[in-house]
Amino acid sequence: MSEDDTIDPAGGASLVAAEYVLGVLGAQERREVERRLAQEPAFAAEVALWEERLGGLADAVAPVAPPANAWSRIEATIASGAERPASLWQSLAFWRGFGIASATLAAASIAALAYLGLVPGTRPLLMATLGGASGQPNFVAAVTASGNSLLVVPASLLTNDPRAIELWLIPAGESRPRSLGLIQPGQPIRLDIPPDLAGRLTLDATLAVSLEPPGGSPTGLPTGPVIASGKLTKL
Amino acid sequence: MDADATRSQLAAALVRVAGGDRAALRLVYQDTSAKLFGVCLRILKDRSEAEDVLQEVYLTVWRKAAAFDRNRASPITWLVAIARNRAIDRLRSSAMSRRMEPIESADAVSDPSPAALERVELAQQHQRLAGCLEELEARQAAAIRTAFLDGATYEELAARMSVPLGTMKSWIRRGLLKLRACLER
Repeated sequence: MSEDDTIDPAGGASLVAAEYVLGVLGAQERREVERRLAQEPAFAAEVALWEERLGGLADAVAPVAPPANAWSRIEATIASGAERPASLWQSLAFWRGFGIASATLAAASIAALAYLGLVPGTRPLLMATLGGASGQPNFVAAVTASGNSLLVVPASLLTNDPRAIELWLIPAGESRPRSLGLIQPGQPIRLDIPPDLAGRLTLDATLAVSLEPPGGSPTGLPTGPVIASGKLTKL
Repeated sequence: MDADATRSQLAAALVRVAGGDRAALRLVYQDTSAKLFGVCLRILKDRSEAEDVLQEVYLTVWRKAAAFDRNRASPITWLVAIARNRAIDRLRSSAMSRRMEPIESADAVSDPSPAALERVELAQQHQRLAGCLEELEARQAAAIRTAFLDGATYEELAARMSVPLGTMKSWIRRGLLKLRACLER
């Protein structure tokens, strides 16, 4: 830390909340703040206080009428049912409600894994087929032999959606999704699993994919629609 | 309609949105979309980007209205915070490379507050903020306003005002602490 960062030894830590609200932090710092927001109620309260303190600065912005069709786009998205209330995200029943993907997809996934040269080790290979409602994109995922990474293969291409695609783990018996990172719509990707989550890639854990703002969920929990999910099973 | 009535009407609409009432979301949109579009446009400086973000903002409101706590936040402040966060995230995303707008000297940094603020019927809280900003050094207040309105990083602000990064951080951090002290008096 440079001396520039220690100008105010007393208020430095608490100022992160103010800096976040003011908008001076970079993308990585903002994601760190958002992780804390999801996990530290006291910190979230501090951010909310700063939003109230500084909110009046927005008075200086003149209103600008949005285009006339903006509302109909919003209404159509909501009517399509792609957007769901946040409370559903925390419901395990919701996650379990997704159907098991088809045998065809599973076969395709095995072929994809073989193509990628993934050779099962001594431990049983765990994999999941991630299906959505009909017509939605699907993914297959497999825990690598080491257990420390996950191979994700898109089984169908997404449309040209600007949103980021984020992979989530809901450990068996839990309801809170944990982010495993962003994946690519058109190509297989190998994700290193953080050590604290690697042990939770177990039978019956659920993997899910959601659409998020560029850079990923700002809150540490899924914020966009779930486009696919499925449970880890033994191959 | 006075500010208090607007505020409570908006808060009531957000509570209905949390219950899945689309008509209430439309009311919220009608009352606030021009303000939030202005906020997004100011940060993104691009109409189509701002339109995209505006859509994200109201979908976020649709999903997260249950998180609105009318005892803790004013509805418009809550909505503006969502709009600013979404717009700043878009600005920081690799998809949108920042168009830097170099400004040669600190004097050239626009300070939009006084004239614009006078036009608006300010809530008491906002008047206090304006008063506390006046207690800051002019350049500190200008840096804080520009940061908030444009969503500029420390680095961008330092470049725009032609001061070292450390100086900019110092101005803003000291300014924020003074603001907090002033608002809590």
